[in-house]
Amino acid sequence: MTACTQPTVSAALVCVGALLLTAAAAATVSRSTVTYETPDVSLVRADGKRVSLPQELDDGRPVLLNFIFTTCSSICPLASRTLEEFQRKLGREASKVHLMSISIDPEEDTPARLTAYARKFHAGPAWQYYTGTVAASLAAQRAFDVYRGEKMSHTAVTLMRAAPGKPWLRIEGFVTPDELVDDYQKLLASP
Amino acid sequence: MPNDFRGAAPAVALALSLLMWACALSAAPATPSAGETLYRRGLLPSGEPLRAVREGNATVQGGDAACVSCHRRSGLGSTEGRISIPPIAGPYLFVPRAKSLQELGLPFVDTARLEHEPYTDATLARAIREGIGANGRPLNYLMPRYQIDAAAMAELIAYLKAMRFGPVPGVTASALHFATIITPDADPVKRRGMLAVMNQYFVDKNNAVARTKAPTLYSSHRTMFRVERRWQLHVWELTGPPATWEAQLRKHLAAEPVFAVISGLGGSHWGPVQRFCEEQSLPCLFPNVEAPTGRDSDFYSVYFSRGVLLEAQLIARELADVATPADRVVQVFRAGDVGEQAARDLQAARAHSGQQIVNRVLPAHATPKDLGAALREVGAADALVLWLRPGDLSALEKVPPPTSRVWISGEMGGLEQAPLPASWRAAARMAYPVDLPGRRVVRVDYALSWFRIRKIPLLAQQVQADTYLACGLVSETLNHMVDAFVREYLIERVEMALDHRALTGYYPRLTLAPGQRFASKGGYIVRFSDPQGPRVAALGDWITP
Repeated sequence: MTACTQPTVSAALVCVGALLLTAAAAATVSRSTVTYETPDVSLVRADGKRVSLPQELDDGRPVLLNFIFTTCSSICPLASRTLEEFQRKLGREASKVHLMSISIDPEEDTPARLTAYARKFHAGPAWQYYTGTVAASLAAQRAFDVYRGEKMSHTAVTLMRAAPGKPWLRIEGFVTPDELVDDYQKLLASP
Repeated sequence: MPNDFRGAAPAVALALSLLMWACALSAAPATPSAGETLYRRGLLPSGEPLRAVREGNATVQGGDAACVSCHRRSGLGSTEGRISIPPIAGPYLFVPRAKSLQELGLPFVDTARLEHEPYTDATLARAIREGIGANGRPLNYLMPRYQIDAAAMAELIAYLKAMRFGPVPGVTASALHFATIITPDADPVKRRGMLAVMNQYFVDKNNAVARTKAPTLYSSHRTMFRVERRWQLHVWELTGPPATWEAQLRKHLAAEPVFAVISGLGGSHWGPVQRFCEEQSLPCLFPNVEAPTGRDSDFYSVYFSRGVLLEAQLIARELADVATPADRVVQVFRAGDVGEQAARDLQAARAHSGQQIVNRVLPAHATPKDLGAALREVGAADALVLWLRPGDLSALEKVPPPTSRVWISGEMGGLEQAPLPASWRAAARMAYPVDLPGRRVVRVDYALSWFRIRKIPLLAQQVQADTYLACGLVSETLNHMVDAFVREYLIERVEMALDHRALTGYYPRLTLAPGQRFASKGGYIVRFSDPQGPRVAALGDWITP
């Protein structure tokens, strides 16, 4: 991983690491531009097909990537709902951006479970879910610097890239669907 | 340090009085209240799904909006990533501002925050509806703003208030009581092996407690108390038919209240034990069961593996993957053994394949002649699945394999020790729901060394290693819980702790999460490498069907 710029703090700040029913702490979403080396691993898509991670990422479309697990009950449903809204807000444009959600609990998240999960969040055809071996999932997590030791320690990270070969926009924290659409449009507009 | 001890006397007295009130949730009512349904399932009293909105107008509803998703069944909160989710059981919300949990007589929970003003019904309703905390500041982004009318709100708040902490069965000031359950159809050799490990583990544990000059208090600026308690094991041996087991277990529990069930040993039936643990809200941690009938929707029973039911899925996947499907799948099993349940699962998994499934059921006391008869008319175009024990596998010596497509159960046959005759080894593949011998050797050797040093006879290696692992996991989890003896919290902490576990015995990985009740998810298909002996080779990667 190479950080090209220092993290920037969004104007719309939201809270990470604070409390639910007690006082709120400082709310931050941080953004940084980073390059990653994609590992040459194969994953299993929710439709059961074995696919190459580099090829899925480099299909020519802008790509939005996150890491989830289907039995996660707090962070992941929120992240998935945000992507659902992102797709809805993009409307017809949604088919032009490849959304990829990779499981960090691949042994539990079989293609069938991922398919059910995708249905729950009304994933359109451009939003695909991936599982595979534990080693493949770990390699992907490490490559994108989201591995935190075990699945219950994961954090909310969304990665976005305008095209193959371009750097990634890394968004840490809970971003709203509107902010995500804004990030996407700015990313496409940038040279 | 006598002076220090005298100085701590008031704290000791307070601790001991608190211990008499060791904490537990009050018993769950037989019929869930409207508040409980709302909390756990996200359903309003009207039956409509609970709805909520987050910042940015992201909506959430039903089960996804249920309080239990984040605050957990115990109401004691959790930690996910960098997010600390606080307890919302009533005592943590409504108590007056206090300096420490011990002053409040509450279990120590590391996510508890007591710096807030005590909630009132009105400020709590505002927090739930508007996301504004008791101190007037907005709550975390994760906390949805719920659309709840006054009546439903009253039900929810009443439920939170009812999450009280009183005396918990099986926990006294000086002892923690555990049970282990053995069904009458359990293998007697495995029973001896399991009990030898458990008895020794409890002896070791209590020797360690004795060395700590109990009661010892550990106190820091955040920790409540940790009093070393003796572990007491109660062996509940069931008798008679399975229909009577639940009543027997209720009597055992009444006579010998326990905090949790550790390990245990089943035969063909475990359903009544599973139901009992759910009904009594009693954690049942890692019993040795070959065909656990529990569902992921159950809460209180947790297993290492699905055993033969996992094997059925592994074999079903193999049957689906072959280029030339077998004409028929012939399954052979003894009536009443766990193979019967595995065969049923495999048949269900192949239900839509169009493949004919033929079940050949051997009588419970079948002879080698019966086995030979069951294999008659099995042809080269058929697949044969043998859900058989070592005795039956040995008896195959007199019969040549009728097809080159044979699968056997590793769980039932004895894994690499299965006495499969040489003439069958080239044809047979084995479902193998644990790690390969060479890969698990270091992890299992840790347990074996422990047995050797303590002169524990090695009678049933996997059962004994799993039992040792179960005891260790409970011990570690209780250490993390400090003195928060809440049964639901024990399960939740086990879920959290497993991923960190490096020594996982027979299993390559153990992992749980809310809604996951089987910690090891996969297995191998292996083949014997030699005409004799225990060498096996995997025919592919670890499979999670």
